[in-house]
Amino acid sequence: MRELKKCAHDDLSEMMSMALDGLLDPNSLQEVEEHVATCPTCGQKWQSMQRASRLLAASEMPGPPLGFSTRVERELAAGATHRRRVFRGLALLTGSLSMAAMTMAVSVVVGLGIAGWRWLSTQPVVQQESGVISQLISGLGLLGRTASLFLGDLLVHYGVPVALVLGLTLSLLASLWGWLLSRQKTHRNGYA
Amino acid sequence: MGEGMDQERAWIEQALRGDHAAFGQLVRAYERPVYNLTLRMLGDPEEAEDAAQETFLRAYTRLATYEPSRKFVNWLLSIASHYCIDRLRRRIRAPQVSLEDPLPPQWLASEEDRPDRVMTEKQERELVRHILESLPPDYRASIILRYWYDMSYEEIAAATGATESAVKSRLHRARCLMARYLETAATYRGRDARVEEMRA
Repeated sequence: MRELKKCAHDDLSEMMSMALDGLLDPNSLQEVEEHVATCPTCGQKWQSMQRASRLLAASEMPGPPLGFSTRVERELAAGATHRRRVFRGLALLTGSLSMAAMTMAVSVVVGLGIAGWRWLSTQPVVQQESGVISQLISGLGLLGRTASLFLGDLLVHYGVPVALVLGLTLSLLASLWGWLLSRQKTHRNGYA
Repeated sequence: MGEGMDQERAWIEQALRGDHAAFGQLVRAYERPVYNLTLRMLGDPEEAEDAAQETFLRAYTRLATYEPSRKFVNWLLSIASHYCIDRLRRRIRAPQVSLEDPLPPQWLASEEDRPDRVMTEKQERELVRHILESLPPDYRASIILRYWYDMSYEEIAAATGATESAVKSRLHRARCLMARYLETAATYRGRDARVEEMRA
């Protein structure tokens, strides 16, 4: 019985809340009014709810201190400067990485070229030639042999890590450029 | 109204292109409702200004995600209320007023019981602040959006990321807490009066 009474009071409390929002139909509102007139607990609660409601409804809406919007604009400008610096840093980073990747790619190409030249120099047709061209080829061949020995050794011992680092660097660069381009397209004010 | 909306839309478009001055117009148009929400939520003017500023900065950075079908001010208030709720939850020592804490006598005067001493505006402001501080952050946000912005349950739900039934429940519980707060205040007032009588 006590539980039932408690439930009835809880339901009524919910109805009071809805009444304060003007969402209660006239019959339910009458039910609330009849109950609070006879139940001191609910009557007190209803009065307190109404008082709190009146206090809040009568409260003003203060504005921020003077110069608030100017401060926000200043913060935005400072943020834009910071963003420009970050973008410059990223551009520098990607530029440096591009240069490094290009250097590595050129080294590989040159290495392959030297290895190719080394192979050519062992061919009888090239060995039988004399004169300036032959001397030049011989000199270049010597240089090529040294370089190819070094590169060959490097690739034999560290071929997998070198290829991995090269691949990773190129992937990172491609992702960075892709990200920068996508930001430029989708977020016109420069923010994510 | 339509002209105002067009103007607002134009400012948003310009701000999306990086025009800070256009966004400044939006700030000027909505600084009062945003600041009021942060002040009511946090209770402290300095913190409220900081939170309002953060709200506008976040709004600028997320402007591309704003859906024009929604009221711009409601979108701003949604950012502000989420930010304030997070901030309140992060407070290490929440200076919330407990229902058990006695109140200074001047806040306990009620217009019903003390018609000769109507509360001053300052006292009312303080009482409102203490009533709000007695509420958990989620309830507080729902009550503020309901009373100061006249939002419907649906709009409050959209602003706070809750369901309509959750909003209805929060408003009900918040009102019960506020009623209890005022009743507790009245109890303390009665006790203090008895102590005064005994001393006399």
